Amino acid sequence: MSREYDTIIIGGGIIGNGIAYHLSEVQSDGILVLDKNYPLSGTSGSTQAWIWIHSKSPSWYAEFSLYSAELYGYLQRKIGDIEFDRAGGISPFFTETEREQAFKLAECQAEVGIEIQVLNREDALAREPALSPKILGAMYSPADGNVNPMRLVEQYMRASKKNGVTFEYYNPVTGIEKQQGSFIVTTAKTVFRCKKLILSAGIWTRELGKLLGIDVPVKPVRGQIIITEPLAPLMKHTLSIMRQTSNGEVLVGNSQENAGIDRRSTLDVMIETANMAVKYVPDLAKAKVVRGFSGLRVMPEDEFPIFGVVPGIENLYVAALHSGITLSPLIGTLMTELITGGETSVPIDRFSITRFA
Amino acid sequence: MDKSTIVCRCEEITVGDVENAIAQGAETFDDVKRLTRGGMGLCQGKTCRTVISELIAQLKGESVAAVPVPRLRMPLRPIPMEILAANQSGTSAMFDLLDQASRKERQEK
Repeated sequence: MSREYDTIIIGGGIIGNGIAYHLSEVQSDGILVLDKNYPLSGTSGSTQAWIWIHSKSPSWYAEFSLYSAELYGYLQRKIGDIEFDRAGGISPFFTETEREQAFKLAECQAEVGIEIQVLNREDALAREPALSPKILGAMYSPADGNVNPMRLVEQYMRASKKNGVTFEYYNPVTGIEKQQGSFIVTTAKTVFRCKKLILSAGIWTRELGKLLGIDVPVKPVRGQIIITEPLAPLMKHTLSIMRQTSNGEVLVGNSQENAGIDRRSTLDVMIETANMAVKYVPDLAKAKVVRGFSGLRVMPEDEFPIFGVVPGIENLYVAALHSGITLSPLIGTLMTELITGGETSVPIDRFSITRFA
Repeated sequence: MDKSTIVCRCEEITVGDVENAIAQGAETFDDVKRLTRGGMGLCQGKTCRTVISELIAQLKGESVAAVPVPRLRMPLRPIPMEILAANQSGTSAMFDLLDQASRKERQEK
C-alpha cells in the first residue's frame, strides 16, 4: 500500500520548508515533506544565518538577494517570531586595495538600487564602535541583517502543519521512479506516490537526482564557526565575519574548505577564526569561546542557485543553493508561483539547471 | 518531575519544553537542543544531557542506551578567545568577502 500526495518535497531544511510553507498558503492539502533526519540536523541548523546582500556579486545576484530580504518582515508577521533583525551589514577593510574594491562594488550595487556606503575609518567607528581602530574603513548597507535559523525552520513547520502539510522525519528516500505520470518515492519506512516532486535536500540533492538520472551539480563546502559565551550588547550590526545573537552570544566564522562530508571542527581553523575575531573586534579577546561547530554548505558548480523545473521529466522540480537563509522566502514564493502554474513574479531563467547541460 | 522542572539550568529549559520538542518529532538530544536551546549554554549539556536523554527514552518507550549520544564540541571547557588567537595557524581556510565579490564582478564582465 502506498500513500498518495499531490506534492512531495524531499528535504526539510530552510529551502524545503520555505517551499512547503509558501505552497501550503495556496494549496491547502496534499503536501508531504520528507527528511532523512530531523529538520535542522544538517546545513540549516549550522549557520550564522545572515540575511546578506551588500557584498553579493555580481549585482544582479545582490538585487535578487535584496528581494528576498524585503520579504522577511512580512514573513515574520505571518509565521511568528523568528528573531529577524535587519541590523544592517558592515564589511570592514584594512588595505587601500580593499578600499578600491569597495568603491567599485558600491557603484555596481547602487546601480541596482541597493543602499550602500563606503565609510572612512571615523564614520565606520561612529556607526559600530566595537570595530578595531586599525580598520581603514568599511562598507555599510542597511539592507543586511540576520535571523534565528532554528526559530525560522520551526515556525515554518508549525505554520505549514496548520495549513495541512504532513511531515515525515527519520525516513530516508531509497528510490524514486516515474510511472504513468506519478512519482513512486520509496523510503526506509513507506512507499509514497505523488504527482509533483521537489528535490530540495541541499548537498544531498545530487544523490537524489541520480535516482532519476539527472545531475544536480552541487558539492559540500565546510564552514567552521566558533561561539562565545553570552556577552553584554557589543555590536549593533551584522559584520562580514560575525554577529551577536539576541541572547548575547557572538558567532564568528567565514571559512570555506573542501572537506567532503566531514563535519568535524579543526583546531587550525578555529585558531584562524579567533585571530580574525580579535582583529575585527578587539574587545572579543577576553570573551570565552564555549563551542565550535561546522556546517556543510551547499555550493553549486558556478555558485549560483539552481532552481525551477527539470526539463525532460514532467512535474519534477529542483531547488539547491548556497545562501539558503537569505534566499528562503523568495525561493519559497517563486517555486510556489511556478508549481501552481503561474508565471514567476521575478524572471528565473538564469537559475535553470539547463545551464549546466 | 512536573512540567515546570528545569532540566537545562544554563538556558532555563523545562521538562515541558523538552516534551513539546519530542511531540514535534525530535528523537535525539541534538534535535531537542536545536529546538529548545537546552544544552547550548555555558556548560554545554554537561548537566542536562542525561536528563534530556532519559526523557526521550521514557517518551519513546526505549532504553537510554538507544538514544544517540550528542555530538561533542570543542573546546571541552570555555577558553578565552585570546588564548585561541595566541597561536598561528598554518592553513588559510578563511575567505575575504570583498575579494570574492570583486572576482565575481570581473567574471561577469
